[in-house]
Parts: sequence; C-alpha cells; structure tokens
Amino acid sequence: MNFELTEDQKMIRDMVRDFARKHVAPGVLERDQNGTFPRDLINQLGELGLMGMVYPEEYGGSAADTVSYALAIEELARYDASLAITVASHTSLGTGHLAMYGSDELKKKYLPDMVSGKRLAGWGLTETGSGSDASGMKTTAILDGDHWVINGSKIFITQGTEGEVFVILANTDKAKGAKGVSAFLLEKGMPGFSHGPKMHKLGLRSSDTAELVFENVRVPKSHLIGHKDLGFIQSMKVLEGGRIGIGALAVGIARGSLEDSVQYVQQRSQFGGPIANQQALRFMLADMWVQLEASRDLVLRAAVLKDAGKPYNKEAAMAKLYSSEAAMKICHQGIQLHGGYGYMEEYHVERYYRDVKLCEIGEGTSEIQRMVIARELLKA
Amino acid sequence: MKIYVCCKQVPDVAMTIQIKDGKFISEGMNYVLNAYDASCVEEALVLKEKYGAEVTLVLIGDEAGKEALRKGLAMGADNAFHISDPALNNLGSQAAAKVLQAFFKGRDFDFILTGKQAQDSDMGLAGGILSGLLNLPYVTNAVGLDVQDKMIVVKRQGDEGVEVLHMPMPSLITCSNDMNDPRIPSLKGIMASKKKPMEQVSLTDLGLSADEVLKESQKSSLKSFGLPPARKAGAKIEGDAQTLVATLMEKLTKEAKVL
Repeated sequence: MNFELTEDQKMIRDMVRDFARKHVAPGVLERDQNGTFPRDLINQLGELGLMGMVYPEEYGGSAADTVSYALAIEELARYDASLAITVASHTSLGTGHLAMYGSDELKKKYLPDMVSGKRLAGWGLTETGSGSDASGMKTTAILDGDHWVINGSKIFITQGTEGEVFVILANTDKAKGAKGVSAFLLEKGMPGFSHGPKMHKLGLRSSDTAELVFENVRVPKSHLIGHKDLGFIQSMKVLEGGRIGIGALAVGIARGSLEDSVQYVQQRSQFGGPIANQQALRFMLADMWVQLEASRDLVLRAAVLKDAGKPYNKEAAMAKLYSSEAAMKICHQGIQLHGGYGYMEEYHVERYYRDVKLCEIGEGTSEIQRMVIARELLKA
Repeated sequence: MKIYVCCKQVPDVAMTIQIKDGKFISEGMNYVLNAYDASCVEEALVLKEKYGAEVTLVLIGDEAGKEALRKGLAMGADNAFHISDPALNNLGSQAAAKVLQAFFKGRDFDFILTGKQAQDSDMGLAGGILSGLLNLPYVTNAVGLDVQDKMIVVKRQGDEGVEVLHMPMPSLITCSNDMNDPRIPSLKGIMASKKKPMEQVSLTDLGLSADEVLKESQKSSLKSFGLPPARKAGAKIEGDAQTLVATLMEKLTKEAKVL
C-alpha cells in the first residue's frame, strides 16, 4: 500500500495550483456576482492541456491518469468551483461519452477541438420529468432515411449556452424504457436545435446552465454514438467516472473553506487573543480537517482503481456521497468560524457554501449514490 | 546558440520555515526551482523561440534537485545536467562556483545565465565567482535580454535607472526575477520532460575530489540559522486629542528619545 503521489502527479497538481493562484483566484468574486462565464480562462486551460487531459495523445490529450485529473479538479475548485465544474463536466460527460463510445469517424472529427477546449462540450440526460429514472424520458429520436429526427428538451445542462458539441440521450424505442435510449452527437447551429437563457442558480453562478430544445433536429445517422438502445447503459458508465470529478470538486471547495477558516481564526482577535485559542473552535477545525482528508482519500482511491482498470462503481459512489456531504458540513462550519463576516460575500466562505450544495445533487443525488452502494452490499 | 542556465533548488517560500537549535528543519519542506533561476529559464526560452537555441540546465544538488530540473525541462529547456555527490550537500558559494568551473571546462556555449541570488541564502555570490573562475565578462541584475549582431543586449537594473549593455559571447549574466513572469509548464511539457535527457554528473566525472570541494566550502561557512525577532506589540494611546498628543510627545522624547 502506498499513499504517495508519483512525480508526474505532483507536478501536474503543482502546475494547476500555480495557475489557479495566479489566474483563477483574482476576479472570482466578480465572476460569481455577475455570473460571468470565463471564456478566457477556459482558453488558457486549453493551452495548458487541461480541457481533456485524460484522453489519448492522438486526439491532442496527454493520456494523464484519473488521479492527476482528480487533483487538477481539486486545485481549480479550491479557488473557483464554477470553473472546476465547467472543466469536469466538459471533460468527463460530453467529451467522455464521445471518447468512450463514439465511432472513430466521430472521434476524429470532433474530439481534437473538444480536448483542446476550442469547442466546449455539453451532455444532455436530465429532462423536466426525468433524471435518474430514465423511463420517464420524453425526448425522442426517430429514424427517417439517413437521419435521426430528434424532438424534445433537456434541462439543467452545463455549457447549455456556451457549448458547441453536445451528446444527448433520446428514446429510440419507447416500449423498452431505459433499454430503449440511445446517445447522439449534436452540434450547435443544427436547424431546430436551440437553447434557453442561462439559468439563475444558488451557486456555481459563473458556470453556464441552460435548457436545450430540439424541434425536428435532423441528425446524420452516423451521429448515433455506439449501439442503438444502449445509451442509458453508456450513461451509467459515463456517470461512474463523473462521480470522481464531483468528489474532487467537493474536496476542493471544502479545502477552500478550511484554509480560509484557519487563516481567519488566527487573525480575528476576541477576549484578548486570536479566536484560534478557543478550544470550541479548535475542535471544529480538527473535525473539518479529518473529514477533508477522508474525502480526498476516498476520491483518490476510486481514481486509483479506475486507473488500474478495476471495478470502481461503488468506490466512486462512496467518494461522491461522502465527500459532498462532508464538504457541506465543512463549508457550513467555515461560515460559523467566520461569524458575521462569513455571511458577507467578500469572505468567500458563503460562496463555498452555496457552490458545494450542487455536489449532493449533480451526477446522481446522494440518495442515488446510497442506492448504488446498498445494491453492491446486498448483491447475493 | 547554446545557453546554459545554472539552477538551484530552494525551500518553497510559501511554506512555513522551521528552525530548531540553530538548524534549518528541511523535513517536510517542498523544494522548488529558485524563482530567479526560473526567470533565467523563461528568458532563455523566449530567446530560443525568437532565434533558435539549445537551452541546457545545470544544477548541483541531491534528489530534490531533480524536481527543480524537471520543472525547467517541463517549461521547455532541452536537457539537463544533475551534479550530485554526497560531498556536495550544503555547499558554500565559493565551492559551488568551483564545481561549476570544472563542469564548464571544455564546454562550448554562448552565454551562461543564473539567478542573481538564491531565495534561500540570498548570498548572490556564485555567479560572480564563477565568472571570475571562467574568466568571462559578467553583468548582474539583468531585467531584459536580447541578441543583436552576435552581441548580448542586456538591460540591467541599476540604482538610478536601467542601463543597456552590449556583451560579447560568451558572457555570464545574473538575472532578476523582475525580468519576466515565468511560464507555467503545460501538461504536454510535463509529460515530455520525462523523456528529455537528464545526465548525472559525479565529482569524479568532473575530476574533483571531495577534499578539494570541502576546502573551498570552508572558505566561508554557515554557523547557524535564526528567525528574525517577533515584532513587539504596539502601544495604544487613548483619550481626547490633547491627551493623545501629550502622551505621544512624552513617549517620543523620553521613551524612544527620537525627539
């Protein structure tokens, strides 16, 4: 058993940390307050090779391992969770689905621009009436000659307005429920494909979330990703990897809250000394740290298993479940430690608290993670 | 063009420095590429991109030094030499320059860059001593570099302003970190750095003995480390304007005796 990062992993972590401190941290408050999508930062991340780092070199990636990817997401989320969710969702969902199941033809055509960050990817599974339960999916795809004709809509889609390439799930055989769902690649600008305005959210405000609308969108037959009717099974696999990203996101946000709190309690003076002298607050800090370290270990363990080609479904679910719920507690305590200042926007901790809530919801709620974990436990 | 950059690995200044019984506690410290040397690497890479050059890094140090070298290679340097030997731990500036003199003996280059000082010791001596030993023209505190008509154009920050000097090749130039903002290595750069040549050089390879180095090192030696004394708490004067001024005057004249 070895808990040491490799030299490559350390270098990648340090590189992203350096970038995040220098270029991401400045301006994060303004971006959050105005909901500004940082296209310039995305371009810089693309130049550094961070928009599709895990994909093969032939598509412009660096074939980095999942551990490095998780470390990179944590470093970005430490300063700006909105940017981190943009990178994570672009990498593991839209780009991930194409990279895992797309034909060589589709991959050659689309992946290089996605991996370089030139074209942002979105992924559409959720609908107003269907999320984790795919049987309620209303979007349909019907074959008409050489095209699939897609109708319906998707909601809460990250990169909804900024994205240019989307993988979306649609019913190809309604009678078969979740087993009659297929994945398709859509491009911005296809006739009949539009999006709604940016949605206003509790947190992650400078990430881009919108509704996608499909009105008789004609998609070439070749844009079917993988086999017909296997889209939902593919999606479950895509989400499995995505959970490591959300876990890392939670770890990054929680680390921000803890680090800011450690600094604050040593500076803030009450009753004749820094409030760090108060045992009640020390106990809070100790608990926060333990939860943070445990979260990171769970996330990296799932990543190590994935890199080793071993099953990691329950580990990824555990990592996402535990780290997101621990991060909620850590961010809650972070505000408490800051007192009144913590309630104010300029102290970041209130932003962490708003941002981190998504981790308990996106890419499978905590309840879904518990279902996944319990199913594994009770397997005969 | 052939550019050599002499580098050093230093404790990460972003971490808390710990000193115990006059000794620096290196356990748990991260070692990073000296910021002044990182500026040298950056400037060499800019010249490489502009005119074409081979950028070679040289570093004296233990295993931690390799990470600093890899950082430079990931930024874009072409190759590196890692001079490593148990006798080379905690070298003084004089000894470091002596080792580098042996390294450069018989080597062909257009110029050598090195940080004007290291972030840990802040001595700023090795560059100057090395230029003396190699009998090279020498300029300090460069804030800009260019090459024109086979001359190195050096912008140097002086006390009163910026001087522009034309230096012949070969020369040795020490650089300020005000010169540029070193690039962050890309992921591709990090992956590529593994495949770039990093040659191990021992004292024997340089034709030096441990005794010789020790003798040089003893010309100056570091006795102990200490933290600067903590600042004393200030005094708060309270009361109305009249009392404030009177008390302050009293303190300035009688306690501080500055008036």
